[in-house]
Amino acid sequence: MGLGSIAIGAGLCLLSCVAAGLGMGLATGKAVDAVGRQPEASGKISSILLLGLALTESTAIYGFVTALIVLFTLK
Amino acid sequence: MKPVDIVLLCVSAVIAAAGFFRGNLIKSKLNEPENAQKKLKLKKRLSVVMSLAGSWMFTVQLLKVIFGKGERGEFSVGLSAEKWNVFGYGISSTIVVTWAVMAVLTVFALIVRLFVIPGFKDEPKGIQNLLELMVESIDKYTSSYVRGTGLNLGAYIFTIAAFMVSCAAVELLGIRSPTADLTMTVAMALITFVLINYYGIKRNGIGGRLKSLAAPTPIVFPIRVISDCAIPVSMACRLFGNMLGGLIVMDLLYYALGGGAVGIPSVVGLYFNVFHPLIQAFIFVTLTLTFINEAAETAEN
Repeated sequence: MGLGSIAIGAGLCLLSCVAAGLGMGLATGKAVDAVGRQPEASGKISSILLLGLALTESTAIYGFVTALIVLFTLK
Repeated sequence: MKPVDIVLLCVSAVIAAAGFFRGNLIKSKLNEPENAQKKLKLKKRLSVVMSLAGSWMFTVQLLKVIFGKGERGEFSVGLSAEKWNVFGYGISSTIVVTWAVMAVLTVFALIVRLFVIPGFKDEPKGIQNLLELMVESIDKYTSSYVRGTGLNLGAYIFTIAAFMVSCAAVELLGIRSPTADLTMTVAMALITFVLINYYGIKRNGIGGRLKSLAAPTPIVFPIRVISDCAIPVSMACRLFGNMLGGLIVMDLLYYALGGGAVGIPSVVGLYFNVFHPLIQAFIFVTLTLTFINEAAETAEN
């Protein structure tokens, strides 16, 4: 297989970062809203936010790992 | 040694010295209130940048003069860790570093227990204060997620947190961190998987655990089983991807800077080698606790 097509495939895997970035931005925006409304609950909100961000980020990480596997094993 | 190198060395030394002395000069002027403070502050910042850039150039040139211009190595990052030759056997660097980290942690704990604090006192002092703070906060954090598991789970959480942070600190020595290897992260995620099922079965019994998997209707049972089996895969891939990402970024930076890798990587590494692994350890611990809590509490409601 050509190196070019492998590179295109690896790049396409990283499209998952788009969705992850959108999701993380939305979640953070909502968290800022929530803190603005209830500043006293900021500790709880931030711990929930961090957990949600970790779960959202895993989408991007899956894409990243898939891209790495594509790059390293399809040679 | 070329004359160009010597000239560059002198020029960068002059730039650094000029920036330093100019900054000092402006600092002495700053005390006078009638001066235009804003403009002076800008000038002072400029001279700080100048002295920093000058000293960076000076160091790079000095290293070049002393050691000669190094060959630019090839950039290569493997998916799995490299093999080290240990007593004639090819052993993955992950295993060697893991055992070294475990030995260091154990010896450190023994030294603290035997020599620094021979006997715990009722009124804590010095390092005992720090230890109590760490243990107490992790115990509190654990019991805030999973109620009534005693101190066992807290001890486990403290262990993996300490282990992961020390593994990440190994990367500062230029060795590939064990957590940037898929075998290590899969092992850690499997321990979590076993713990999830252990606490689920211990609390609810085997029947209760199976019933909780078929919670709303029995139709979802296979889906729930698959999603439960996906937990270790996702945790392993998350940790591995994050640590390998940091590793690749740092390697790329070293590769791009080449001989000029002085000072700048230490600033960037503060994020990618120190702060980022801490966040990842925190997330791993939190996810472990969340999943255990989910498995342990479903039948009670």
